[in-house]
Amino acid sequence: MDDDQIRSLVDSRNGTVKPAIYSDAQLYELELERVFGRTWLFLAHESQIPNPGDFFNTFMGEDPVLVVRQKDGSVQVMMNQCRHRGMKLCHADSGNTKAFTCPYHGWAYQVDGALQSVPLEKEAYRGKLDKSKWGLIKAPRVESYKGLIFANWDESAPDLVTYLGDMAWYLDGFLDRREGGTEVVGGVHKWMIDCNWKFAAEQFCSDQYHAPYTHASAIQVLAPTPQNKPDGSPLGDGQTERPAWANGLGGVQFAGKGHGSAFFFTENADANVWVGGEVSAYFRETYPEAEARLGKVRALRLAGHNTMFPTLSWLNGTQTLRVWHPRGPGRIEVWVFCIADKAAPPEVKEALKKSHARAFGPAGFLEQDDSENWIEVQKVLRGHKARQTDFCMQMGLGFEERREDGIPGITNGTFAETAARGFYQRWVDLMTGKSWNEIEAAGAAWEQEVIDA
Amino acid sequence: MLDELTRPLRVSADLQHEVEQFLYLEAALLDERRLREWLDLLADDIEYTLDTNSLAQFRDRRRGWAPPTTYIFHEDKYQLERRVARVETGQAWAEEPASRTRHFVTNVRVLAQADDELVVGCNYLVHRASKAHDHHSFIGTRRDTLRRIAAADGGETFTIARRRLELDEFTLMSANVSIIL
Repeated sequence: MDDDQIRSLVDSRNGTVKPAIYSDAQLYELELERVFGRTWLFLAHESQIPNPGDFFNTFMGEDPVLVVRQKDGSVQVMMNQCRHRGMKLCHADSGNTKAFTCPYHGWAYQVDGALQSVPLEKEAYRGKLDKSKWGLIKAPRVESYKGLIFANWDESAPDLVTYLGDMAWYLDGFLDRREGGTEVVGGVHKWMIDCNWKFAAEQFCSDQYHAPYTHASAIQVLAPTPQNKPDGSPLGDGQTERPAWANGLGGVQFAGKGHGSAFFFTENADANVWVGGEVSAYFRETYPEAEARLGKVRALRLAGHNTMFPTLSWLNGTQTLRVWHPRGPGRIEVWVFCIADKAAPPEVKEALKKSHARAFGPAGFLEQDDSENWIEVQKVLRGHKARQTDFCMQMGLGFEERREDGIPGITNGTFAETAARGFYQRWVDLMTGKSWNEIEAAGAAWEQEVIDA
Repeated sequence: MLDELTRPLRVSADLQHEVEQFLYLEAALLDERRLREWLDLLADDIEYTLDTNSLAQFRDRRRGWAPPTTYIFHEDKYQLERRVARVETGQAWAEEPASRTRHFVTNVRVLAQADDELVVGCNYLVHRASKAHDHHSFIGTRRDTLRRIAAADGGETFTIARRRLELDEFTLMSANVSIIL
C-alpha cells in the first residue's frame, strides 16, 4: 500500500476512517515497522526491577524484549532472542539472574547483553568467533518517566518528554499524587482479545461516550442505592453518588501528538462507583497532599481515560495501567498493571488490588463489556463491504479550543472525538514514513488547523 | 495448592456420594442459569478467590520465589450477588444473549474433616459457548470448604464456606471471564 492509499484511509479534518485500518494484514506489517519501530513504548515500572540482575520479560510490538536492571542502577532493554539461531532466551515473567543462557545450544549472555560464553568455543569455532560482535540487540533509546520505563528503536525519535508534550501534564496527575511516586501492586493480568490494537487504544484515548451505555449494567448494580445494598451500608464510603458524567459540571477532552485524555470536573475527591470504598476513602484522606502537588483540577481527577500513543492506556481512580500488545491485525495481548502510591499503607494497596481486579481485571464488572464490543466489531470486518464502510468520527468537530484555565493543549467537551482524530492523524503521519521532524511539524499544523476551523 | 496427603483420607462411600451429589447439583444450577438458587448454596461469609499464575525460572523457584500474581476473583457473597444482578440487567454485553455453560467436576477427594466442615478438592472443566461461534474452555483445580448445615426440610445439607480456584492458563485465552467458574 503506497502513501497516498494510506492517506486516503483517514480523514481527520472531516472525521472519517476506513475500517480497513483495523483488518488489513499489509497495513499491520507496516505498523510493526513504522509505528512500533519508531515510537516510545511502555515496558515496565521501575518498582518491578529494583535490584541488579532483576529482569522483566515483555514486548515491543511483537518483538520480545528483556528489561534488565544493571549493576550501576541503569536499565537496559535487549531482544529476548539468541544471536545464534534466534531462540527465545528467557521464558520467566520476571526474576533475577546473573546471565541469560540460551536453552538451544547454550550461548550465555551477561545481564548487559554481551555474549559471555559459547559452548565448545575452541573445538567448534576453532577460537575464531568474535564474541564482541554477537551481543544481544539492544534498544538504543531507553528512558524513564516518573517510574515508567520506555524504550524506542528509533535513534531519530524525539526524547520522551518532547514525545509526551502536553500529555505529561495528564500523566503527572496519575503518577505524582504523593511524595515517593508510585509502584506496581501485585502481578500482571494477561489475556487475549480478538480485536485490532487501535480499538482499545483509541477507546482509552477518546471515548468517554461509550461509558454510560456499554457499562450500563455495572453502573446499575454498583450504584450506592438502598436497592443495591439492602442492609443500608454503602458499597464504599468515599464513592460518588452517581457516575461523574451525571453530575452536570462538565469536563474536558484533550488531544495532542496522538495522545488523548478526558475527565469530568468534580467537587469532591471521590472515585467512581466501581472503585472500592477503602480506596475511595484513601483518595479523600490524601487529597490535601495531592492538591498541593498537582493543583485542584488534577487532584480532584479520580476518573477518566487516557492513552499515550500508541498502546499505553490508564484510568485514574481505578489505577489500571495497560499495554495493548499487537498480535496480528485481529488480535491483542492485554497486559494490565495496578498502580498505587508508594506511600499508601499496605491495607490500602491490598484493597486497591481487589478493587482493581473487580472493575478492570479480565473478570471485571466493567472490563468484560469493553472487550465484547471490540471483538464483535472485528468479526464484522471480515466482510468486504464492512471494510469499505466509512466510520463516523465527527463528534465535537469544530468545537475545539485552547483553554485559559491552565488545562493544556487542544481541548473539547468530554464527549468528543477530537482525540481520536488526533490519534489517527498521528498514525497516518507515522505510517507514511515521514521523518520525526516532519511528524512533529504535521502534528503542530493539525492542531493549529483544528483551532482555526 | 499442594495437599499434605500422601494417601487418601478414609471416608465412607456415603460421605463421598453426598459430597459429589452436592457438587453436581451446584454445577447444574449454574448451567441451568438458576443463579439465585446458586447464591443460596453459598455461606454468608464465603470467600471466592482465583489468582493469576506466573512463570518463574528454575533459579528463582529453587529459592522459593516466583513473579507476583494478582486477583482475578476476590469476592465475598455481596460481590457475587452483584455479579448475578449484573447479568440480570440484560445489559451485561458479554452475556447478552446468554451464553451456555457446562461445568464438569472430577477427581473429587475429601482432603480434611473437622467439626462441621470438610475440605474437598476437585478438578474442573467449564465450557462456555457464546454468540454464534465462540467456544471457551476453563480448566483448573479448586479447593472448597463445605460446611454442614440444617436443611430447610429438617435434614442436613452443605453450604460453601470457601472456594479457592486455580486456573491453569498463564495468559488467559478468553477475552473475559463473564461466568461463574
